[in-house]
Amino acid sequence: MDQVVRLVVNGDAVTARVESDWNLLRLLREGLGLQGTKEGCGAGECGACTVILDGAAVNSCIFPAVAAEGAEVVTVEGLAAPDGTLHPLQQQFIDKGAVQCGFCTPGMLLSAKALLDRIPDPTEHQIKSALAGNLCRCTGYNQIIEAVQAAAADLAATPAAGARASSETEEVPA
Amino acid sequence: MASFEFLTPQTLPEAVDLLASWGEEAAVVAGATDLWVNIRSGKLAPKALVSLRALPSMRSLRHAGGDGNGGPGDGARTPGAATGTTLPGGAAGGGAASIAAGASPSGGALTIGAATPHADIEDSLWVAEHFPALQQACASLGSRQVRNVGTLGGNICNAAPCADSATALMLYDATVVLQGPDGERELPLGEFFIGPGQTRRGPAEVLTQIRVADPGPRTYSGYLKHTRRKGVELAMMSVGARVTLAEDGLTVRRARISLGVCAPTPTCSAGGELFLEGKPLTRENVARAAEIAAEESRVRDSWRGKAWYRREMIRVLVPRVIEQSGAFAAVETR
Repeated sequence: MDQVVRLVVNGDAVTARVESDWNLLRLLREGLGLQGTKEGCGAGECGACTVILDGAAVNSCIFPAVAAEGAEVVTVEGLAAPDGTLHPLQQQFIDKGAVQCGFCTPGMLLSAKALLDRIPDPTEHQIKSALAGNLCRCTGYNQIIEAVQAAAADLAATPAAGARASSETEEVPA
Repeated sequence: MASFEFLTPQTLPEAVDLLASWGEEAAVVAGATDLWVNIRSGKLAPKALVSLRALPSMRSLRHAGGDGNGGPGDGARTPGAATGTTLPGGAAGGGAASIAAGASPSGGALTIGAATPHADIEDSLWVAEHFPALQQACASLGSRQVRNVGTLGGNICNAAPCADSATALMLYDATVVLQGPDGERELPLGEFFIGPGQTRRGPAEVLTQIRVADPGPRTYSGYLKHTRRKGVELAMMSVGARVTLAEDGLTVRRARISLGVCAPTPTCSAGGELFLEGKPLTRENVARAAEIAAEESRVRDSWRGKAWYRREMIRVLVPRVIEQSGAFAAVETR
């Protein structure tokens, strides 16, 4: 049975028609064409599908699409500024060599963003805890942690740089 | 994936009505972190999912002062009419920072809406101060992504022997409130579990609240989850302990020792607790209580760990968790 879901994705209000057994990941990738969010395990273990929903990192593969009604979602496509300037996390992931094959990267970025939105100056332990649900099979964890620390420092220096996707809810017709 | 209807009732009575009409073919869904995986793998095939997401006050942490108001047994409150702080489901980032202050030094009773995600409890400084074992248990579960979505009520109703939140809640004599076609009932958490995956919740009942009474002053508690790796792991076993000291600051007035994965359900060691109560809190007495808890346990072999090892670790972890709770330090510096 299909149902209509209304939500805000990366600042844009969208209305989508989904089947009741769709997960949020499928809504994003197939319904909205936002293919930056990846499916890894499909069972909530690996974190590749992580997006931010109402401010909190969630595994979109085990989140019912219908349950996203009224939610505000941020995906990797919503991190960079409209002029293409990368979010400090994205830039630091590049600069610190935190991207290898890249499959885990969107999920890592969103988990890290949710952490920095909540705790702007996290300890290494807090970073590890926040990213524990994101697996990198290239095992570049040290560089990822360094990138998050560096991005936290960048954001502390220029707070406006990371403010885009999380604060805007402008109404744009779907 | 088998097809089902996803129903989002707006009120609790509506949810109960839906469950009553669908009967065994319906499943209650809150965060869906377990249910979705089980449906996708074909383990479960409900015809309807009844979501608790839109119900008012189901996501809430409320606490009263140390006088017991707001605790168990204060009558016919409906969750929708309850006062207190309801956490925003908004953009605050799992933020439990908005919980109202007002705890008396002696603690306070706590009422948790069943659809409260683990992260709200993990982030609550008030819970960390007054019910530290519960905060530690909720912080130890799954990944942050799962804790942001998976709810306390879901963890309890799944009734896994390793349920972290349930094992911690047993320490505080928590009760669960169920709303069904015949009204509301409240029963002790320890009586709610029947076996792995089995509870006394009727098919048309919704777990609405978890209530915890004020454990009183001089209460120390903690939770230790024993795992092979530090994160995103089910417990091989877990141990919680709580001691409430008498006014002399030495004698154990009330003791609780809870065990996860040491029986078919989260359980308490009555023998170990009775041994400690009325005695001075010493390392020797705690070691004996741990011995009794180990002997009493119904551990068994599984691929995550062997029975003999689990029994041995009860002896190790009971003293360790009491050490971690600060109770020994309090006795020694009284």
